[in-house]
Amino acid sequence: MREFITVTLNGITLGGLYFLVASGFTLVFGLMRVVNLAHGSLYLLGAYIGWSIADATGNWILAVITAPLIIAVIGIILQQGLLRRIQGQDLREAMVTIGVSIVVADLLLAYYGGQSHEFSPPDAINASTNLVLADVTYPTFRLFTLATAVVIGVGLWFLLRHTRLGMIIRAGIDDREMVSALGINIQLVFAIVFGLGALLAGLAGIIGGTNLSVGPGDDSLYLLYSLITVIIGGMGSVGGAAIGALLVGLVAQYGLAYAPTYSVLLTFAMMIIVLAVRPQGLLGRPSV
Amino acid sequence: MIAARIMRIVGLFALSIFLLTFPLFASAFFVVQIGIQSLFLGIVALSLVFLAGYGGMLSLAQMALYGSAGYTLAIITVTYGLPWFVGVVAALIASTLLAVIFALISVRTQSIYFLMITLAEAMLVFYYAEQDRIFTNGHTGINGIRPPTVGPLVIADPTTFYYITLVVAVLVYLALRYIVRSPFGLSLQGIRDNARRMQSLGFNVYAHRVVAFTLAGLVAGIGGILGTWYDGAISPGSVDLTRTINLLVIAVLGGLAYFEGAFIGALFFTLITNFASSFTDRFNTVIGLAFLLVALFFPDGLIGLSRKTVQLVIRAPQWRGKGTVASQSASDLPHAAIHSNGTASDSVNLGKQFMAASVNPEEKEE
Repeated sequence: MREFITVTLNGITLGGLYFLVASGFTLVFGLMRVVNLAHGSLYLLGAYIGWSIADATGNWILAVITAPLIIAVIGIILQQGLLRRIQGQDLREAMVTIGVSIVVADLLLAYYGGQSHEFSPPDAINASTNLVLADVTYPTFRLFTLATAVVIGVGLWFLLRHTRLGMIIRAGIDDREMVSALGINIQLVFAIVFGLGALLAGLAGIIGGTNLSVGPGDDSLYLLYSLITVIIGGMGSVGGAAIGALLVGLVAQYGLAYAPTYSVLLTFAMMIIVLAVRPQGLLGRPSV
Repeated sequence: MIAARIMRIVGLFALSIFLLTFPLFASAFFVVQIGIQSLFLGIVALSLVFLAGYGGMLSLAQMALYGSAGYTLAIITVTYGLPWFVGVVAALIASTLLAVIFALISVRTQSIYFLMITLAEAMLVFYYAEQDRIFTNGHTGINGIRPPTVGPLVIADPTTFYYITLVVAVLVYLALRYIVRSPFGLSLQGIRDNARRMQSLGFNVYAHRVVAFTLAGLVAGIGGILGTWYDGAISPGSVDLTRTINLLVIAVLGGLAYFEGAFIGALFFTLITNFASSFTDRFNTVIGLAFLLVALFFPDGLIGLSRKTVQLVIRAPQWRGKGTVASQSASDLPHAAIHSNGTASDSVNLGKQFMAASVNPEEKEE
């Protein structure tokens, strides 16, 4: 029973991490129809930059705050510099982001080398917490990850439902041309949303990197989990990303605990079942 | 037009002579590293060009299908020590069956959704190969896969291997060319251009796509057998994200709309990786930048670029004005004539979207 609770907790906290990565991915896709296949690279870049900052200053909190901002700026440069000129051609945009991801992965490998890097977060969140109710001792940082995911999720919900920017974004998801015809600078909104998506990837990079470690290959791993999460949850839906992330996290952890060789197949099976029943994903809209 | 035709015949003749006599004058390095490698990569890229250019399905799962054939071959011939032809047949069946499964999942979606789902499929194959210890032997993979000796043919001999790969490549190329001109191929292109219209005309869109994807899986499997013999080993690294994307790079570099582009892209890619690696460790950066440039500025790939140049030089009569240069330059190919119909109307269609960068892709035809 205790093992089951621990595995379930692992699944939920991992789901929280996947949500952090996938929320930015799905947000960008929902508004701009850009499949940012460099999203995993932004994750990895955020993790490495965060690691460098934490390593240089010894201050993990500073890294958590600054690295995502740096990634947001990089994301905006990527969107304005490369994607804007081919805007609306979704396959070409996907290809450009693939090109970027090849270059970024190679340069990061050259600079940071092949070994994995570890963070040391403040002691307050680095110890273990005794969960009295479940009688389980659990790493505090995992709970912190889950809390961060919940805060980000609520924040995104608030942003999308209760602010003017969110209203514009939702309108833009429905009909881009109409929004710009109403005199709203849709290009500015695109830049903001892409920056926000990159920021979330960078944040997830540091949180994920602190949970596990940072190393080459993480970019493709988290890109895969973002993809599966939004395919299951519904592309473009933040709520769908939350449900998808939770499902993917739980299935991955149960699989690892009880059927180690086949955990990937379980994830695959889940994707098949969801797509067979709802091709657009759990909360997705039917594609146009 | 006549000048163009004569040039094509002369070019084809020269190319055949060159390919046939290549091992006679080229060094072993060129035959093995450049020749064989670009031929089998070209075969795998052919499967992608067939799907993307003629079916409008940009699949990222081809390298995973390649790997499924390679792994099956390795498991049958090395792990179980069965004869090579059992391995070859099983490998082709495996990649074809996996393609059917992948197709059933993914072909209901289109365009960018299709890209994402096939990418997820490909990466799941990679992580499965890495996790499984019973069949695929985890991270290490399977070593010691030797090309067989068939009667008098010692396939392990580089020159023999080159000729066999060349023959297979030509056969696959001709078969696919034949298929895209068959009634099936024509309706597939119709579906690429306007799935809804084809559906109303009574064509089974879903079945056409599944069959096309399955065929492409078979072709990728053929490439997988040759590639695995060539490498002598297979591991998760053979089907990882880098390899998956490399195949896309090859097809896009060459030009997604032409079968010939698959081989040109593969040749170019093999040359870059071999020569860039001699003066820089960062040849992946070079590849990435080359890919970025092509995706940003030359959506038609190298073959589109060369066609444009050739036509500027010989002033083919159908070339006039700017604007739709890409689609017009394609129109001297018989199969490309179908391509250039409805250029302006299809936003979903990849080939078109790639060729006519000026077309407004916002139209929601689908």
